[in-house]
Amino acid sequence: MDANLIVFIILAVVAVGSALGMLLNKNAVYSALFLILNFATVAVLYIILGAPFIAMTQVTVYAGAIMVLFLFVIMLLGAEELAGATKIDWQKPAAVVLGVLLLAELIVVIFFRETVFAEFAELTDFGSPAQIGRVLFNEYLLPFEITAFLLLAAMIGAIVIARRVRQSPSKRES
Amino acid sequence: MLLREAAATNYFNLVPWVVFFPVLGILINLLVGGRLREKMIGVIASLAVAASFAVAVLLALSLNDQHAGTIIAFMNLEWISIGDLHIDWAFRVDTLSVTMMLAVSGVGTLIHIYAIAYMHADVRHHQDPTRYRRFFVFFNLFIVMMMILVSADNYLMLFVGWEGVGLCSYLLIGFWYDKGKGGANHLDGISNALAGKKAFITNRIGDFGFLIATFLMFGAFGSLQFDTVFTKAPFASQGTILAITLFMLLGVAGKSAQLPLYVWLPDAMAGPTPVSALIHAATMVTAGVYLVARSHELYALSSQAQNIVALVGGLTALFAATIAVGQFDIKKLLAYSTISQLGFMVAAVGMGAIVAGIFHLVTHAFFKALLFLSAGSVIQGVEAGHHAMEHGSIKESKHKRGEHLNEGGEFDAQDMRNMGGLSRRMPVTFVVYLVGALALAGIFPLAGFWSKDEILAEALHLHPAVFVLLIIAAFFTAFYMTRQIWMIFFSKPRSRPAEYARENSLLLTLPLILLAVLSVFGGALNLPFWHTLTHWLDYTLAEGAKVGSFNYLVAGLSTVLALAAIALGIFLYGKRYQAQAKLPAAQRPVDPVQPYLRGAFTGIQHKWWIDEFYDWLILRRYVALSRFLSYRFEERFWHDWLHDNAIAGSFRQTAHFLAQPVDLGIIDGIANGLGTISQRFASWIRRAQNGFVRSYATWVLAGMVIILGYLILR
Amino acid sequence: MSGYGIEDLVYILPIVFLLVWALVLVLVEAFTKRPDVTMLLAAFGLLAAVTLSVIQFGTEATAFKEMLTVDGYAVFVYMLVLASGLLSLGLAYDYNRRMGWARGEYYILMLFSIAGAMLMASAANLIVVFLALELLSIPLYVMAAFVPNDASSEEAGLKYFLLGAFAGGFVLYGVALIYGATGATNLMDVVAAALGTNSPVMLLTGAALILVGLGFKVALVPFHMWTPDVYQGAPTPVTAYMAVVAKAGGFAALFRVFIAAFPSVSADLTPVIATLVVLTLVVGNVAALAQKNIKRMLAYSSISHAGFLMMAFVTYGSALYADAVTSLLFYLLAFTVTSFGSWAVVIALEKAEGKGLDFEDYAGLGKKYPMLSAAMLVFLLSFAGVPPTLGFAGKFFLFRTVLEAGYAWLAIVGVIMSLVSAFYYLRVVRFMYFEQGDPEVRSEPVLNLVTAITVVGTIFLFLFSGPLLAWASEAVLALI
Repeated sequence: MDANLIVFIILAVVAVGSALGMLLNKNAVYSALFLILNFATVAVLYIILGAPFIAMTQVTVYAGAIMVLFLFVIMLLGAEELAGATKIDWQKPAAVVLGVLLLAELIVVIFFRETVFAEFAELTDFGSPAQIGRVLFNEYLLPFEITAFLLLAAMIGAIVIARRVRQSPSKRES
Repeated sequence: MLLREAAATNYFNLVPWVVFFPVLGILINLLVGGRLREKMIGVIASLAVAASFAVAVLLALSLNDQHAGTIIAFMNLEWISIGDLHIDWAFRVDTLSVTMMLAVSGVGTLIHIYAIAYMHADVRHHQDPTRYRRFFVFFNLFIVMMMILVSADNYLMLFVGWEGVGLCSYLLIGFWYDKGKGGANHLDGISNALAGKKAFITNRIGDFGFLIATFLMFGAFGSLQFDTVFTKAPFASQGTILAITLFMLLGVAGKSAQLPLYVWLPDAMAGPTPVSALIHAATMVTAGVYLVARSHELYALSSQAQNIVALVGGLTALFAATIAVGQFDIKKLLAYSTISQLGFMVAAVGMGAIVAGIFHLVTHAFFKALLFLSAGSVIQGVEAGHHAMEHGSIKESKHKRGEHLNEGGEFDAQDMRNMGGLSRRMPVTFVVYLVGALALAGIFPLAGFWSKDEILAEALHLHPAVFVLLIIAAFFTAFYMTRQIWMIFFSKPRSRPAEYARENSLLLTLPLILLAVLSVFGGALNLPFWHTLTHWLDYTLAEGAKVGSFNYLVAGLSTVLALAAIALGIFLYGKRYQAQAKLPAAQRPVDPVQPYLRGAFTGIQHKWWIDEFYDWLILRRYVALSRFLSYRFEERFWHDWLHDNAIAGSFRQTAHFLAQPVDLGIIDGIANGLGTISQRFASWIRRAQNGFVRSYATWVLAGMVIILGYLILR
Repeated sequence: MSGYGIEDLVYILPIVFLLVWALVLVLVEAFTKRPDVTMLLAAFGLLAAVTLSVIQFGTEATAFKEMLTVDGYAVFVYMLVLASGLLSLGLAYDYNRRMGWARGEYYILMLFSIAGAMLMASAANLIVVFLALELLSIPLYVMAAFVPNDASSEEAGLKYFLLGAFAGGFVLYGVALIYGATGATNLMDVVAAALGTNSPVMLLTGAALILVGLGFKVALVPFHMWTPDVYQGAPTPVTAYMAVVAKAGGFAALFRVFIAAFPSVSADLTPVIATLVVLTLVVGNVAALAQKNIKRMLAYSSISHAGFLMMAFVTYGSALYADAVTSLLFYLLAFTVTSFGSWAVVIALEKAEGKGLDFEDYAGLGKKYPMLSAAMLVFLLSFAGVPPTLGFAGKFFLFRTVLEAGYAWLAIVGVIMSLVSAFYYLRVVRFMYFEQGDPEVRSEPVLNLVTAITVVGTIFLFLFSGPLLAWASEAVLALI
């Protein structure tokens, strides 16, 4: 067996397992930690694919900065233990069955049908900072700019929603 | 330059708006008219028609660049599609239809404006503002229908407009349904309602002919679209063409009041004066002329048909002109004059002189509308005088001078014998009336001179017999108009109300002045040597319009005859009338011409007993037949025996069966079941809508899974 | 290598201008803190963008390496969403002040989301489709949650956000699958690559995922569940805005993507789409029958209209798709005008804290406010598709197209469902005219203006439907 494949299978199991752990854990801090593990695994996958820059970004931005922020917020709010939500009887079984079905369907599509994949040229320095910069600011300039506006709009929205909480302390007390 | 460019590309598309603007007017007045002030209703209605006119002008501008015109399908709508019959709702824009649109909306606008002032008196009189809205809604509806008629691209759509204007005519003739004498109570409105009914029924006879012609056309050509019909017509048999054209002529005779179906038009004068002017003089009654002009390619194929149409027109022209001489009602006289002038037009288009006919149609629209509206002005002036006398400061015994009363025994403000000397009391009306009368009489250089002479010149060339009829009719025309002018405006007032008659407001007289200007200069449309209208219509007429040479002989002859008639009129109604008025009542002739005509005048006065003849020939037979049918056939046989015994009995038993076990058991079950099911369903949906995001997400997922499952398993 | 020029910006000038203008307004708002000034400037910006779009009419070009297409279709949608923006500014202005939470950011967010909707109409690249969808949606989430200290508004915003993110994931996954299958995200390249394959199952799966994601945005059953809750909870002007603009953007992108990129799989997808249409029509209309709150009723009604709009989509693979798109654009226009009108009336009657939104609150409106109730009557008739209203023309063209494409049964379902819809629309009419009541209405000039414009539009544009249809079909011609 190809060494690459063995590494991939191990990583895949870890990634899926950590994702499940993040979903199923009732403690928010554990969930966040599982998510960090997941992000890190995915970063390794990027490295295998020959995209070290994206892997580094993944680690520093997502697994590093954002998740630390998450943990801060969770701990500051004291929301480690998630409050029990209203139970809906059919919800969990339905979700599990449907999820499994969707997975099965995708497996069928990808493995059991004559699926034709597009042919991609082998890129040597794919994922290097220079290459990413070139692609991002040439071919994908427009998506990049739209993303900029998207983030700005999201930021303004977050500020709008957040700021008024401070303006109305009465709400928080009650 | 810009305007011209736009015209070259765009304006044709606007053609639905000649119909839509009046529709908008109707909608606005229907929806919010109840809250508007009276004037506003009239203003909205007038603006709607004016907008229509503006569109027509734009269309004319476009046509000036693209002479061929076009056919605009509205909303790409196929109106009717049954078997081989395909009829689109399409508008035809060509020089002929646009000429008609211009005339209809142009004159229509002026008459609408006039009506704002005219109908005000009616509202005040009845203390009922809703009448005003009703009037203008009907009036706009008329414009809508007329526009559909003239812009139609096929005979069926034309028929829709044709019926529509008939309906509006009916509604508006009977507008004063509470007036007029018929039964025991002298104001029960029977006679006005009867007049409306008469118009409607007479028109139905004509429409029947038109409809048959349409069926024949579809049978022979498989289409009702103008162009298709005209292309296929030359290959049809002579008999088919003759049948189509003559049945169509029946329709024309009904709508354009020709022999033998003209009888409704004089009675139609029961409607308000703007109605008489717009519908029964300027526009609707010319629809028949338009129809013949539009179908001239069919008529051209059959010289027999042309001959008959021309003769009908010529005879009507003369016949109605004689009756007009004996009328005392100011509007009825004009009505007979209208019939006579329509005869001129029908004769012209029948002979194939399409341009002359349309030319006369347009100029006639100007001066006849003017005459009717002025007559309305006169009537209101005299009524105002009557009103002042009755309620005002002037206290005197009524009917002191033996005024002529109407059928209801009231003072008749429309009877010319109650007038006289109004030229001093109503100067503006007098001047415009005089202009209209001279135009109608065909005096140089007014509009009527040019158009009538063109018809006469063409007739001399194409159909000498009709020429003789028409030129005599022209003589009578000049005579009865002189008679009318003199009886109304000159000598001394013959009744107290006439002495106190008042001139009307500017709103009422302004349209008159404008129409008078048109009546003076209208002839410029198609002056000899320039032939503007001829070239204009040339683009539409199949064989091309022939540029007729100006015939000095005809012009001279008709002018001389007209002047002679006027001189005769002045002689009889000037001095002679005054002299006779001094005679004692017993010796006094009914009319100054009576001593000369003797028996003939009695005939004229009774309209040659045509109404009585129709009554005897048709109405009585018809009533007898319907009595027989209703009593013997329907009551005895149909109702008593067949219906009560044979059908009703068995029906009752079936119904009993259906009601008890079938209906209660099965049908109710299904109906209730449906209600229950939909309620269950709705409550189930409501339960699924539980407000939890995770449930909603599950539904999305479920949808996704099902779709993918389908796509995979398919 | 770079290959961008000033013309790339010029082609999408209305969008560029709108985005830049939004940035300017952020500064203006930060330094003046005057919501009414921001609102006026936003209105000005929208007007300017309308002008730029008008100039754009007739342009046919691609920009940014064929990622955006500017054609008649796009410009039609530009005009529609820009007009929607103006109308909803009119709805929001008085309302926000009345409810006491006027904030300038509201208008800025709205500009962003309009730019998103415009980008969706122009997007010729799947990545751009996704980003434009998010640019349209994220401001909407915030706007839905805009009312401070109001649990139902916050709930609406959060629900919309969570489910929107979920649906966005589907779109993104679909794009990824399509990229895997074809190696392209540009629609033209996708269709070129799809032509070569004879078993496009992965492409099909990707298309279905995109259908689900966009179907969520335009509220097709069964992806509609968020709609009633969010429409009811969000502030009414936001509801009005998102009911129209999210639909316009969603359908615009859906049509362009499917017609341009997935004609090869139309035979597979058509039964799916037809099923979605029937489900949407039935559930939307039947559920609306059971509603007593006008916002919820209009929410279900808007679901049913999504079904009608989607009906045009059934024919996307056939030769008649140009007609289908034409009637879709026309129906969208009819829906826009009518919808804003009805929401304007709802806003006129709404009181603070979500009061005044039940059918009972409309009792006696006909007697007390004849003009307002007549306007509402026009809108409801237009919704139900009764002439002489724009809604009738919309349904007429739509059903005709569906019939011509050979889906008679679908047209019959549509007709039956519009009869059902008449039932609940007329219930409001019954309350307005035949029930006793004493409703209170605040007469606010801007709101009255919006009502007047839309009521005139509903009737007047009906009369104009011939030329409008011609315009729409011209817009579509460019798409072919």
